[in-house]
Amino acid sequence: MNKDKIKQIVLDIIAEIAPDEVLTDVKPEIRLRDQLDLDSMDFLDIVMELRKQHGIDVPEGEYRELESLDSCANYLLPKFETGATA
Amino acid sequence: MSTVSPKDSTADSHYDVIIIGAGLSGLSSAVRLGMFGLKVLLLEKHYIVGGLNSFYAKGGRKFDVGLHALTNFPSPSSGKSSPLFKLCRQLRIPLDSLALQEQTSSRITFGTTDLRFTNNFDFFISEIERVFPHEQERFHRLLSKMENFPAYSVDAEELSTRNILAEELNDPLLAEMLLCPTCYYGSARENDIDFPTFVMLFDAIFKQGLARPEKGIRALLDPLTSKLKELGVERKMNTPVKAVHAEEDRITKIELENGEYLTATHYISTCGGLETETLLQPPPQTKNFEIGRFSIIESISVFEGHPKAWGWDETVVFFNDSDSFSYNEPKELVDLHSGVICIPNNYGLPSLDQKQESKLRVTHPANYSLWSALNEESYAGQKKIWEGKILENGLRYLPTIKEKVAKFKSKTRMTDTFTPRTIKKFTSHENGALYGSPTKRRDGATSFQNLFLAGTDQGYVGIVGAMLGGIAVANNQILRNL
Ligand SMILES: Cc1cc2nc3c(=O)[nH]c(=O)nc-3n(C[C@H](O)[C@H](O)[C@H](O)COP(=O)(O)OP(=O)(O)OC[C@H]3O[C@@H](n4cnc5c(N)ncnc54)[C@H](O)[C@@H]3O)c2cc1C
Repeated sequence: MNKDKIKQIVLDIIAEIAPDEVLTDVKPEIRLRDQLDLDSMDFLDIVMELRKQHGIDVPEGEYRELESLDSCANYLLPKFETGATA
Repeated sequence: MSTVSPKDSTADSHYDVIIIGAGLSGLSSAVRLGMFGLKVLLLEKHYIVGGLNSFYAKGGRKFDVGLHALTNFPSPSSGKSSPLFKLCRQLRIPLDSLALQEQTSSRITFGTTDLRFTNNFDFFISEIERVFPHEQERFHRLLSKMENFPAYSVDAEELSTRNILAEELNDPLLAEMLLCPTCYYGSARENDIDFPTFVMLFDAIFKQGLARPEKGIRALLDPLTSKLKELGVERKMNTPVKAVHAEEDRITKIELENGEYLTATHYISTCGGLETETLLQPPPQTKNFEIGRFSIIESISVFEGHPKAWGWDETVVFFNDSDSFSYNEPKELVDLHSGVICIPNNYGLPSLDQKQESKLRVTHPANYSLWSALNEESYAGQKKIWEGKILENGLRYLPTIKEKVAKFKSKTRMTDTFTPRTIKKFTSHENGALYGSPTKRRDGATSFQNLFLAGTDQGYVGIVGAMLGGIAVANNQILRNL
């Protein structure tokens, strides 16, 4: 697993939950909310899909770690890595 | 916080969540929970889904029970902020699949004053400025007050809209004309509407707008039920819940009419606050929900031709025969002073089919106790009598010349009427209360840790409200705590 793969995983999830959003130009360092029409219900879905598809748990207090693609990659990388070794 | 984890229930027959009621709120909750792998059981007492927004066939024709308008149309100015847009995303039903057809134009009419509206909010503002030029400034102040009010938050204060409008506006007629459509589309309280609900409905009707799926309510019900199937959500129809058993602050099991017992980690009830309390065993010492008093009668006429041929090109007309609007349980069977007309064929473009049939739906406040006290014979008789009165009265609010009334009657192929008794039958709401109890629980929480209310008595009403309410309870009370 690496950070680029994680960003792609998150983008794929967004494409699934918000098929009407255009994702070709998403800037990794900018908050997702500032470039896409996503609200707290959509972020819940990102969390739920990470859980369903990859068995990764994001506690409610840490949802804000998912605010941009970069922060997603930083925050999720160790989680993906422990998942892989477990 | 919570102890649910998907699919690892202790026994085979234990569920993560049991939902009572397959109306729009129950269906929406079930889809959300099933989507993320929870083991869900949906229990419905009828043989058909949809609750108050269901469908039926009569005289070889298809009818929707409740659908006048799907509110919250994502108009160019509201777009992705419309709750309808959001709920489609949450349920993963493409908005396009609803094939929404927009209203032509609609009207609020009081005596001799008319306010027209379309799905273009600026037009409604211009109407208000034209008819109430002396209120222009105050009306705009009211609009900003509404924008700044946290209507959508679960702890929004339930202020009286009548009081607020009386403070903000000088002309009582404008206040009454704003109350009429919002009360009809969602007030559980007599003669008033809670301010948060008023703001939500004002947005839903005027800022967003009215539309109708081409295929009626089935455009929503069909994808919901097929999703449930795909997701493996179990559904039991014809299965009334008889009791909800509690110990201290937890629900322990559900008892069905057929004698079976079922258990789950969480329970969601969509059958109403008061009605849920009635199911509780042991019965609660105090009742937390006021009884709702507002119910309706609706008469549907199926007639030959397109409404345009009769000179009717509007979609919805909210009418009142004087300057003051009363929204009460009437003292007689039906209150003809005010009501709502809907011509569903005036959504979208008129069909060119010469042999087409159209529908005219007219709704009035009605008294549940009086209707339910009638024996079968006089019930049928009164229905016939009122059908005639309602039609004749309703035609006064459409551009109709007197001579046409008789002709219209001769071109009417069938009528069907439902009364407060029908609402009771479809929702089990005490008193046939259309919008349930005036007491609402916006976050769905109850005094039991694992029991939540969704839909009508959460305070989110109408089709869009019930669906969003069901989604919010699933999200905030269960999914977030997994
Ligand atoms: C005539 C009419 C017109 C309407 N028009 C519109 C409109 O144009 N636009 C709009 O947005 N809204 C409209 N509404 C309002 C809308 O229909 C409701 O607000 C909405 O459908 C409520 O959904 P719900 O899921 O909360 O409740 P319900 O639809 O009441 O669902 C509750 C379900 O629970 C079931 N149930 C109850 N008790 C039990 C039990 N003990 N065991 C098992 N199951 C049980 C019931 O059978 C029902 O299916 C209309 C309503 C009516 C009556």
